[in-house]
Amino acid sequence: MSTAIKWIIGLIVLAALAWLVWYSGLLSAPAPVAQRAALVATTTPQQSAATTTNGMSAPADTSSAALNQDAAAIDAQVQGLQIDTTSVDASLSDKSITQ
Amino acid sequence: MKKYTIATSISSLALVVTVLAPTAAFAQTDAPTAQPTATPVTTTVPITVVLTAKQQASVTKAEQEIDRRVAALDDLATRVQQMQKVTDAFKQSLVTSIQAQVSALTTLRAKIAADTDAATLKTDIQSITDSYRVYALVLPQARIATAGDRVMALVDMMTALGTKFQQRIASAQSAGGDVSALSAALSDLGAKLLDASAQARAGVSVSASLVPDGGDKAKLASNTTALKASRSDIQTAQKDIQTGEKDIKTILAGLQKIASTTLAVPTPSAATSTTR
Repeated sequence: MSTAIKWIIGLIVLAALAWLVWYSGLLSAPAPVAQRAALVATTTPQQSAATTTNGMSAPADTSSAALNQDAAAIDAQVQGLQIDTTSVDASLSDKSITQ
Repeated sequence: MKKYTIATSISSLALVVTVLAPTAAFAQTDAPTAQPTATPVTTTVPITVVLTAKQQASVTKAEQEIDRRVAALDDLATRVQQMQKVTDAFKQSLVTSIQAQVSALTTLRAKIAADTDAATLKTDIQSITDSYRVYALVLPQARIATAGDRVMALVDMMTALGTKFQQRIASAQSAGGDVSALSAALSDLGAKLLDASAQARAGVSVSASLVPDGGDKAKLASNTTALKASRSDIQTAQKDIQTGEKDIKTILAGLQKIASTTLAVPTPSAATSTTR
């Protein structure tokens, strides 16, 4: 067998080994933590729905006072949302100080 | 014989690659075998470094920049702890990212303050700009997540109130009141809550999957585009919520009007409620 054929066979073996390592997943980077966590966040978002009331009245209370209380609690959270979205805008327009 | 030779050479080559590959990898980290034989003489030479006015100004700017970022990240960490609608794992991943940034910035600040070499100082100050690329992603990512979380909390609250409205509107209708406007507002409220929920989920989902660009300008551009799209989703969700709140006020006012004109409207017990 000629030396050239031996080299070709050797290269084929190396390529096969490289493919095997790649196929086994050893060379693939793990998914980013945020991505993995986001998956969890989007699939199980109801962590504390039952435990958080945010100032709402009892679910069975349909009195006018309860409705007004719920509306006020919602209004407080809407104002909080305004602050949150303003913070989102600020974070996207943040500029680094030129050194 | 030829087959034997080919098989042998393949096996040998595979064996060589398998055995030598780890050896080669370790070889890069091994200490050099040839050690210097001469014992170095250690002497302590006092160094006095006087920074130029320009360098001192750069240090001051660097410290201001780091302090500004740490303050923003601390504020963000507090807000993240208040999130209600995400899993503990998601919340913890955000906190971990924020803490890593704060830790890196704090370490860098201390190093800059202790730098005695002009070249090192320049490199450290430059690294602030480099680290900005991570900060510029982590900050809006977490801010979008907290805003999305608030939207989801509001959707739950407004849905609960909508259920109560449904009962009151049915009662008012039974009593002969005109509830057509109230029913339309309630229907609109339901539609807005559905859309707000979908928009918030989309916004958080897109932004959370982004990773730092690592200096890649194309990646930076795509991250920026994705973050702006997420912000747009959150803004749409916010508008839905605001419209939903108007619907709530419309229904409340309508119910009060019907109650004042129709004496037959039943008023459920208010024993468990408190007025804020």
